[in-house]
Amino acid sequence: MKRLLVVAALGVAAWFLPYGLDSYAIHVVNVILIFAILAIGLGLVMGIAGQVNLSQVAFFGVGAYATAILTTHSGMGFWVAGVLAILATVLMGLVIGTPALRVQSHYLGIVTLGLALAFTNWVTNASLSGGAEGISGITAPTLPGVDLSSEYIYYYLELIVFAVVLGFGLFVVRTALGRRMRAMRDDALAAGALGAEVPMLRMTAFMLASVYGGVAGVLYAGLIRYVAPESFNIANMFLLLAMVIIGGRQSLIGCVVGAVSLALVRELLVDHPTIAQLAYGSVVVLVVVFAPTGLAGLPRRFRAYLDHRRGTRGTAAQLRPFQPYEPEAVSRSTQDQLLRVEGVTKQFRGLKALDDVSLTVSTGEIRGIVGPNGSGKTTLFNVISGLYKPTSGRVIFRGADMTGRAPYRLARAGMARTFQNLRLFGDLTVEENLLVALDRWSTLSAWRYALRPLSVLRRDRALRRSAAEVLERYGLTEFASLAPKSLPYGIQRRVEIARAVAADPALLLLDEPAAGLNGEEVRQLAEIVRSIRDSGRTVIIIEHNMGLVMSLCEQITVLAGGRVIASGTPAEVAVEPAVIEAYLGDSMNTDDLPVPSAGEATR
Amino acid sequence: MQVFLQTIVGGVSLGAVYALVALGFSLVYRTMGLVNFAHGNVVTVGAYLASTFYLSTKLPFALAMIIAIVVTGAIGLVIERVLRPLENKDFDLMLIGTIGFGIVLDALIIMIWGATGRAVPSPVPTAPIDIFGLRIRTYDLVVLAIAALATVLLVLFLSRTKRGTAMQAVAMDHEAATAVGIHVGRSNATAFMIGAGLAALAGGLVGPLLYVSPALGGALGIKGFAAAILGGFGSIPGAILGGLAIGILDSFTAGHFQGYSELVTFLVFTVIIMVRPTGIFGERTVNRA
Repeated sequence: MKRLLVVAALGVAAWFLPYGLDSYAIHVVNVILIFAILAIGLGLVMGIAGQVNLSQVAFFGVGAYATAILTTHSGMGFWVAGVLAILATVLMGLVIGTPALRVQSHYLGIVTLGLALAFTNWVTNASLSGGAEGISGITAPTLPGVDLSSEYIYYYLELIVFAVVLGFGLFVVRTALGRRMRAMRDDALAAGALGAEVPMLRMTAFMLASVYGGVAGVLYAGLIRYVAPESFNIANMFLLLAMVIIGGRQSLIGCVVGAVSLALVRELLVDHPTIAQLAYGSVVVLVVVFAPTGLAGLPRRFRAYLDHRRGTRGTAAQLRPFQPYEPEAVSRSTQDQLLRVEGVTKQFRGLKALDDVSLTVSTGEIRGIVGPNGSGKTTLFNVISGLYKPTSGRVIFRGADMTGRAPYRLARAGMARTFQNLRLFGDLTVEENLLVALDRWSTLSAWRYALRPLSVLRRDRALRRSAAEVLERYGLTEFASLAPKSLPYGIQRRVEIARAVAADPALLLLDEPAAGLNGEEVRQLAEIVRSIRDSGRTVIIIEHNMGLVMSLCEQITVLAGGRVIASGTPAEVAVEPAVIEAYLGDSMNTDDLPVPSAGEATR
Repeated sequence: MQVFLQTIVGGVSLGAVYALVALGFSLVYRTMGLVNFAHGNVVTVGAYLASTFYLSTKLPFALAMIIAIVVTGAIGLVIERVLRPLENKDFDLMLIGTIGFGIVLDALIIMIWGATGRAVPSPVPTAPIDIFGLRIRTYDLVVLAIAALATVLLVLFLSRTKRGTAMQAVAMDHEAATAVGIHVGRSNATAFMIGAGLAALAGGLVGPLLYVSPALGGALGIKGFAAAILGGFGSIPGAILGGLAIGILDSFTAGHFQGYSELVTFLVFTVIIMVRPTGIFGERTVNRA
């Protein structure tokens, strides 16, 4: 309610703003609004999706130039030209986004910067774009009964467009698509393993950024009615970047605040552009070092600081007991092979991490994979889950050859995994971590955002209900809104398992789930894993805690030096001479020795 | 054939400069996994410093260059020290931090030296040498010799001195390096200092070849980066080879595409990075799992 009032107040203020401004000031405000739209686009691709994009200014340029060329050369009306210009920008966005499929971070930064430079190079030289002089005399936009050549009226056009694109951006960020993008930003590997189509998401992010760039470009062409190369140079790109960073790249509102405040500062220092540049450059450095979340993050930091000073700490959240799943009544036929690994070899340059490994896992089984450190257990998981392509051999999952498929395809086919060193999405809450896993929608259906926004909202509500159930089942309800990093290690482990199961897999791969857990937590883990299996899922577990493996698994595969040296029931494996030798040969730590008696639950 | 060879010769001296810029990038990258986006601006600072001392105070060219290297080395130290809290934590933020430094340096350059550029006369005024009909400027040979010398010194430093070996260790595994008592921060600072020094060397050398202006470093920086990637990021022989390759590519595109040479260079570079992100000698994958 309070938020609604603030929005309404801002809306009214924005509506009456022109009445207090002279003709120069309204021009400045119009330019600021355009920069704000650009900044939202950059915030979406960089802050939300984590794709370093230094060609936002080129998107802006394509939008503006395309409008200019289409209206002056082809004699089109402004609106038709504008729509075509936005389409052209989207094409450009898809082209500039393609490198993101191969490279990330610094590389992506430099490639997009290079392509932005290539764009300025082209417009300064091509006769179509008027060379260094640019294009003047762009047809003014017309609306029946409205005089858009007046900057006061044009302001309202921009204001409406701005409100719409900001609203749309916030809508994306707060629902499934934005959550997936943020998950990808935090950990692309884990997002892929949960079924997020990483390549598609990256392209979507670039496409969104280009739409914002295009819209801003069209508005700019309609406002200034003149385009020239220097409006789209690298200095302006860095100014835009500074706006997003200073405002707070992870918050769209922050991006807008950053754009407005920097643009105002630049206007104040209009006679001393280098001083302005020096100032915002220094602020960028200070922000990344001292306040990485930018202006948008300050209120929260301030509140946290106050809480800390006052010492007010709410009642500590508590981990509730796990509530077992309803056992699935289906009879398990052991003949049903869920996963078949056939002669998989994985070579890392000189090192053979896996050497002709074969194993078969039946539906409903709990399979243990043990072996000394460096025996290739995690490599095997990485091959099965698609993170590594095997050098030779095949992985057959649910009867289909899945060798070398992308992790997200395997995840969508019904496989989920946890990671040895925990890969939770750090900047998402516990609940959002689960929501990413629960969300089984294809990214392709993102068209609904534009055409059926209400269905997106409905679906998001349904997802939240399922997330609440999962939280309840795993006893995590009280941690729902906390950041995973703030939680104790044992709880983080549980969140990761809950997240993997929330993806509704047929096959669950657990990589050392008991590492770092205390005795009681290991006991709870055994209970959780058994219940997960009883609910109709198959589990493969890599573990060093022999007590746990011996009591939990029906079948055990022992790896050493990349080869399968034994497999069978716990009792069979434990007496196998090759196993004893591998363990004693590897270390003298007798704790790791398989214990023959299968009764003990934990060490 | 004559034209072809002449084009190659024309590209080699600029290529050597790109190689020096690439070496600076690579050295910092292999030590701390960071691409210094302010590197290009440091090149500009170096170019201006060297040319200022050479032109206004009439110092010998070599001495002017050394002063420029020392001053930019100090700038490198400052950048590293300010961004140190982010090291090995958030690479994207560090990257943006270096862009911030780039913006600051760019503003400082314009404040101190103005927005217009200057031409620097060649310190070796001899007429071009004629070898088998190819005309080679004497200054090109000077550039090549200095670049080669700098590379040899860098390799010796990295392989023969304790500080250099420590830097290699940090490059391989910063945690293990800390565990055996190497001061990672200091090692990174050294890398940044040497990287900035190399940038100044490149800037000083390129002064007489190109026009010194505030925009100089931007173009050199991005081409040096392209060279580093082409050769395989972090690899020293790769940086040299990549630099020469980009220099020659540049010389060809300038001949064939005139005004569009930059466009063509960047497009070729993008395609290369997409086809082979690890470059010619690169070992590390780009997306570390």
